[in-house]
Amino acid sequence: MAQNLAELCIVLIENSLGELSAQIFATLAEHGRLTVHTLAEHAKIPLRRVRTGLTNLMEEQLVLHFAAEEGAPTFYSVNWRNAYNLARHTNIAELVNDRHGEHAADMVGNILQLGHARVGDLADAYDLQPASKRDSGIDTTADHMTEEGLVNGIAKTSSAKASHDMSTSEFHSTLRALLRSGVLVKVGTRAYMPPSDLQEQIEEAVIIDQFPDRKVTGPKKQSEFKLAINVLKRKWREDDAYSDLHDVGSRGAIKRPGDHFKTENKRIKVNGGHANGVLHDGEQSTTKLSDDLVVRVDFSRCTMAMRSRRLEQHAKRYLGGVTAAVYGALLQTLEGKVRAVHDDLAPDNSDDEESTLPCSTISEVAEILDPTIDLGASIKGLPGDKTLTNGTNGKKRHDEFGDFGIKRELSDSEDEPTTNGYTGYRDRAKRLSAIEAHLALLEEHARHFCKRTRAHGSNEWRVDFPALNATLIEAELDATILARYGKLALRVVRLLRERGKLEEKQVASCAMMRIKDVRAILTELQFHGILEAQELPKDNARQPSRTLYLWFFDTFRVQHLFLQQTYKGMARTMQRIPVERERYRTVIEKAERTDVKGREQEKLEQPEKQALREWREAEERLLAQVDRMDQMVALLRDFSGKDTSLTT
Amino acid sequence: MAMLAKLSDEGDALYVELLKAAQNSQEGLRKVFFQSEVQALVPDSAKGANAFLPLVQELTNHSLLRPSKLERALCWSTRPRDAAKAITLLNADEKMLYSYVEDAHQKGIWLRELKKRTNINQAVVQKTMGKLEAAHLVKSIKNIRAPLQKTYMLYHLVPSDDVTGGSFFDAGDLDESLIEELSNLIIFHVRMQSWADTKPKRVKREASPAPVAEDHDTGGNSLAAKKRKRGTADIEDSAAPARRYRSSYDDNGPELITQLSFPAYTRTYPSAEAIHAFITTTDAIRASKAAQLTVPEIQGVIDVLVWDDKLEKVGGGDGGGSGYRTVRGVKFKPPGYPDDEGEEEGGERFGNGLTQAPCGKCPVFDLCGEGAPVNASSCLYWAKWLEGGG
Repeated sequence: MAQNLAELCIVLIENSLGELSAQIFATLAEHGRLTVHTLAEHAKIPLRRVRTGLTNLMEEQLVLHFAAEEGAPTFYSVNWRNAYNLARHTNIAELVNDRHGEHAADMVGNILQLGHARVGDLADAYDLQPASKRDSGIDTTADHMTEEGLVNGIAKTSSAKASHDMSTSEFHSTLRALLRSGVLVKVGTRAYMPPSDLQEQIEEAVIIDQFPDRKVTGPKKQSEFKLAINVLKRKWREDDAYSDLHDVGSRGAIKRPGDHFKTENKRIKVNGGHANGVLHDGEQSTTKLSDDLVVRVDFSRCTMAMRSRRLEQHAKRYLGGVTAAVYGALLQTLEGKVRAVHDDLAPDNSDDEESTLPCSTISEVAEILDPTIDLGASIKGLPGDKTLTNGTNGKKRHDEFGDFGIKRELSDSEDEPTTNGYTGYRDRAKRLSAIEAHLALLEEHARHFCKRTRAHGSNEWRVDFPALNATLIEAELDATILARYGKLALRVVRLLRERGKLEEKQVASCAMMRIKDVRAILTELQFHGILEAQELPKDNARQPSRTLYLWFFDTFRVQHLFLQQTYKGMARTMQRIPVERERYRTVIEKAERTDVKGREQEKLEQPEKQALREWREAEERLLAQVDRMDQMVALLRDFSGKDTSLTT
Repeated sequence: MAMLAKLSDEGDALYVELLKAAQNSQEGLRKVFFQSEVQALVPDSAKGANAFLPLVQELTNHSLLRPSKLERALCWSTRPRDAAKAITLLNADEKMLYSYVEDAHQKGIWLRELKKRTNINQAVVQKTMGKLEAAHLVKSIKNIRAPLQKTYMLYHLVPSDDVTGGSFFDAGDLDESLIEELSNLIIFHVRMQSWADTKPKRVKREASPAPVAEDHDTGGNSLAAKKRKRGTADIEDSAAPARRYRSSYDDNGPELITQLSFPAYTRTYPSAEAIHAFITTTDAIRASKAAQLTVPEIQGVIDVLVWDDKLEKVGGGDGGGSGYRTVRGVKFKPPGYPDDEGEEEGGERFGNGLTQAPCGKCPVFDLCGEGAPVNASSCLYWAKWLEGGG
């Protein structure tokens, strides 16, 4: 089962870190936990080279390592999730670009490429030596033409550009915004430990701390023990989390005496032994982040943002762009309130799941909703924003539904700038009620995109993510089936999903199709693993002719099937890139020659330039396709947060 | 077979009475009479149990009455006179077969079942049934549930919906054009009540909650951007390929709005009953057909439309009945108009990352692998995809 994923991860690593790392990763993937020596043996690579490769992998957090104690051998194992996440880089950068602007996207792109980065180094890259490379150990230029190379390309040009229009304070405020939104997180030392070892360590700590007799059996003790573990886990996690208060550069000033446990934790927080907040310049503004803060991109947070976007797209399909925009804003407000896609440490009160879902008020939504969107445009009877100044007049014109000439005029006038903005209280109230109207539409829809918290009149809204996630998955499966097998197959699949197990005659009558056609579809879908048939023999002989076949559609199974196929498709797409490069090899080699590089314009012939362009387009298309497939993987695997196929 | 004596006047009178009563009742000829009911109808001249029984016996002998048992009480039902005449001419086998067919009523009976029950030689059964059919006593019908089984029922009966498959079957065959027309009609009807139409107008900009600087020129999808790129003669323009932060397929700039939603919870969308009422009262469908359509049948069509993503259910929770509205963007297609839009309706629904890559539709995907007969480098589909953009 993991074969497709392993293949994909190896291709991804080969693409970004080169063959050596890929080979090591492949060996680890095949054999599980290994020490350096056994690893070298299995991979048939000299020990020294293994160490180099491992370092590279470790910098990108593709490998986990753990030594039980000082002097004990260190075991290495692969980090599936991070390895896969290599494929998600562009999607994340795109997302950040959408929300936080281009600078932030650049920054995130760089951090993604580096795995993790010190704030000081980042600042150096942006402010002091815009043209220089970051001081990571990875030789990105060697792989210039790969996906990462492309990111790198833009990073170079725009960081040069950024040096002009991004000031130090801008840099830090962007970074802080990213940290606060959760896109970036602080890196602690524990980030590199396999979760099982981490669990063990926590258990050990709890035992030493609270159960000196080492007895944790018995129902009462057991539950106490579990509780203590969760408390410690949460505490450690919070220690590792970024907070505005603790991680600013001028932290020394804020530090309160007697806050001893925080001082203690400082040591844990900082990677590489520098104490946090020891070194900083006094003259910098308080908003400056400590140079020693190490940050990385939080993929689960980004997955959540991807989910929001996907939900917004879904809503757009059914209710149009304006309503979807409102929905997107609601989702974004909620994002900040959910700790993670799935918080395994959340208090377990499953009987009242509803109350654990976060909620947002309409004014929160209004705050981040793009003010240029005409909220009234897509609901009948709702006055457009811009016509509010017209008062009843505008409303009347909307209601006059026979006279299209006047309406046309109205929509033209909406483009005119308004003097007021939203300063007026009355306008604000109207805007809020318009938002509410959109949210009500979302609620009314059969997919129940959102929900009012209590009865009518409350202005708090929540979104039932688990249920909607199921809807999203179903929609994705439907889209795949529709594109592959056509409309009628989709009809049959949806019918079976809704009605459960049915015999082919019942399927035919429900779908209003000829039984012959239905049979063909059922067989085709069964052949491709979409449908299953349960045999129900009428007698003991179990003859096929005397057997009923009950057809059914297993969402989970198909979801898994498509996920594996997507992995495989992604791997093939990535593998096609070198093939394409091979086709244009002579031109590429010429373009990379030292005497040509930088002066392509005069040194290359017109057909060569054309060929080069063609190749770039092909590669670009392939990479875009990988991104699209990654979006699908995110949807099928990550949105629910319950997937465990990637844990080590 | 000996000729029966002529029917007595009293018997005839009783038969007429019974027939009249049966025809007046709802069940028609299926009406069964219990002893008391028959007695009530017996002509005055032959009152009393003694006279009543010979009369019934006489009618039964003439095959005008058919004895049967219901809840362990003897009862009778009437037969048409000409059928009775024909029956009296039948031999024992034929009579037996006829009675079984008769018992099956509107459901009909399968030939093999007949054989099994009567225990008569297959060849005889087939010959006999052929004879009965020629005499217009029984007819062969097509059972929709078992189209290959030869099924018989009485000549004068109309097969039940179970057998014919309901309104959507025409002589045992699915009437697809009727379903299509009906679907179209329903979409048209529901569409009129689901969304308010408006002249196309633009929303200011697409969903971008954070007001970011809008100068990046990557608004279009990858294809548009590529076209732009092709136009540039300067290699430097493409030398640093702008990594497009737009691989997703939505967001094609400002959206045109042509459908307005009605405010939530202010509208009752048509229910299956309402749609049925519309269909049966409109003259778009032949009146005889329209009269036949039932609400469950219409519901069936609606269900199919929901599965086809044409209609969606609204409401249905607490408070107010549920109704249907068309999915946004679904258009009514005038009759006789070719369905050229196909599956591309609604853009976003058309495929996803997987199915748009060659791998998603690859017929030999399972064989594909490194070192396998099919692999990424030898793949013809990729070559075609990269070349032709599809």
